Amino acid sequence: MHKVWAVVRREFLERVRTKWFIISTILGPVFFVGMGVLPSLLLARKGRASDIVVVHEHSPTLAERVEVALNRSGRFRVQRESVATLSEAVLDTLTQRVRREDIDGFLILSAATIESGRSEYRGRNVSSLSDISVLERSVRQAVIIERLNRRGVDPGVVQEAQSGIDLTTLRISRRGSTGESGQATFFLGYGLSLILYIVILAYGITVMRSVIQEKQDRIIEILISSLKPFQLMLGKVIGVGGVGMVQMAVWAAFGFATMKYRTQLVGLFGADASAARSVQLPALGAELMLLTLVYFLLGYFLYSALFAVVGAAVNNETEAGQAQQPVMMVLIVTLFIAIAALNDPASELAVIGSMIPFSAPILMPVRLAIGDVPTQQIGLSLASMVAGVAAIVWVAARIYRIGILMYGKRPSPRELLRWARQS
Amino acid sequence: MTNNFVVEIDSISKRFSGHVAVAELSLRVPRGAVYGLLGPNGAGKTTSIRMMMNITQPDAGVIRLFGDDKGGRHHSARIGYLPEERGLYRKMKVLEHLVFLAEAKGVRRHEAERKANEWLDRMGLGDWKRRKVEELSKGMQQKVQFIGTMLHEPELLILDEPFSGLDPINQQVLKETIVQLARGGTTVIFSTHQMEVAEKICDHVCIIARGTKVLDGALADVKRRHGGTHVAVAFEDGASGATAMKSVSDLVAKADDSGVFAELTLLDGVDPQRLLDRFVGAGIRLRRFERIEPSLHRIFLDLAGPEAAAPERRETSNA
Repeated sequence: MHKVWAVVRREFLERVRTKWFIISTILGPVFFVGMGVLPSLLLARKGRASDIVVVHEHSPTLAERVEVALNRSGRFRVQRESVATLSEAVLDTLTQRVRREDIDGFLILSAATIESGRSEYRGRNVSSLSDISVLERSVRQAVIIERLNRRGVDPGVVQEAQSGIDLTTLRISRRGSTGESGQATFFLGYGLSLILYIVILAYGITVMRSVIQEKQDRIIEILISSLKPFQLMLGKVIGVGGVGMVQMAVWAAFGFATMKYRTQLVGLFGADASAARSVQLPALGAELMLLTLVYFLLGYFLYSALFAVVGAAVNNETEAGQAQQPVMMVLIVTLFIAIAALNDPASELAVIGSMIPFSAPILMPVRLAIGDVPTQQIGLSLASMVAGVAAIVWVAARIYRIGILMYGKRPSPRELLRWARQS
Repeated sequence: MTNNFVVEIDSISKRFSGHVAVAELSLRVPRGAVYGLLGPNGAGKTTSIRMMMNITQPDAGVIRLFGDDKGGRHHSARIGYLPEERGLYRKMKVLEHLVFLAEAKGVRRHEAERKANEWLDRMGLGDWKRRKVEELSKGMQQKVQFIGTMLHEPELLILDEPFSGLDPINQQVLKETIVQLARGGTTVIFSTHQMEVAEKICDHVCIIARGTKVLDGALADVKRRHGGTHVAVAFEDGASGATAMKSVSDLVAKADDSGVFAELTLLDGVDPQRLLDRFVGAGIRLRRFERIEPSLHRIFLDLAGPEAAAPERRETSNA
């Protein structure tokens, strides 16, 4: 054990001291702060209201309704302009005004707009989705009211029909309504699957690089004369895993601090504190965090053992780029299933996937984050994970033991199997 | 300890995908010996050493180190091993590297650190201990490698081709260190194909060729057993050497002719005096004429010569 500890220590210290580690550990929190604060800032951004002209062919009531709706949104300052016909000359003049930056754009309501439902907006910036949707909504509402009025519908009824509809989605878990919005849950699941994918991949590849480095530096033989190959592999996996844990702990600490002091942070950027509260953030339960940690560790062990095999089977990083493809593919497919599962966490694919050791480390935490998972499924999944990890680490260690001493031609999959069987 | 052998190997064999690397090899290394494992390239020296160190397993046979068969890895704290493939973590700092190597052998950390500092100072690398290995010159890296091998004061040193690739200064450093450790009671096994070096520092030798033992024993016994009449001659220049060799060709069984120097094995029953008479008669000027014991080189050529022409094997594995 003392020997394994020496390897753990070396792997850990050598990696924690690298520039890469320091940079990514610092950049991570910057990213989290951004994620925590940016949405509030974006919402809070009042911005400059756009000056637009609503030009219409003698449909003053429609134009007025549009104007009222647009003004109410606070995004536009509207001037109405009535013309006899929407001639090229009229449009040219307005286009000139846009070019002179006199106005930001103009909305065209033709005589036929009410019947056809067609209108047009021309402006400098047509890529702001939220602005465009305000325009569209305003025009649609105004057109609908006009149509109803023409058919003689009682203005009172129209008024009533117009009153807003607001759909709020709340997630219900076993403990009742969580007060957590559907959107927040989605983002939690999405973020979780991405983070698990990235971290398992990044540290798995680190293990692989470490194995290749020992082969390339030709130090492996000295090591193997002192340590059993399994001790070396174990020490390496634990050491690199430790680096990952430290990094994630730093990130988590920053993450929590950001969430906790979000109001103040948003304030620092000069926005209103209420903006911070208006963005719903997902709640992270202790149970979810603990299970996620367990799945991360099991997944990391499984994939780092596979990556160690890749490292042992190749001579250099260039070869590794190719040889790691099969392992990467399994992870990528898992990520896709996880993202699909965000919409339907109880689908057959998601349930089966969360029982298979290769995909469970990402799928199960995602399912746990977005919906309830029956306890027996969690138990089954954990049992299959533990068994799978034990089996794969065992096979991997047997291939690794032979592979690390081999140089030259890259072994075929069949040869790898032969190594695993070799005594 | 019930016996006086640090290493006992009983008919070990190892084959790699159809190729026999070692066949039925047996040898015994007495405690305190400087033991030379000699043979041409591809003879099976490295494979034998690797089997002692548990890096590969023999297909058959038994290896006992320090009286048991637990293997080199089990005893790694008592063994210093210098593999044929030299290597260090390039990115690690020198002192930390040495401490890690010792810890991996089971030496306690503070103990390892103390000894590493001692050795680095002794080898003149004291100022470099906080530098990365890759910043060191090749010669300095070789020294770090020796220190890593000997730091934990092993009872047994196993060195695979220790002198190959060394600059003359480090060759001298290594030789002196080996002699010093051997005098202090350390058993040293080393493999080489350089007979001159082996002849100077070994007291026991084992010559292997094509995976099988050709001969072993104490160097003095080996020489005595080899028999024959051997003469060393040195000529004024290469031209007179050529004339001289021609003039005695009917008296000589074998000649290791190096131009101005030659080691001659005389035919049975030929008196060396006749050889000298011929040279004098032919007017050859000699710088040396000496009756000698056969050199290890001569013995090696006689015994392993035909075997040494073993077909070249393409190595795909590091076996």
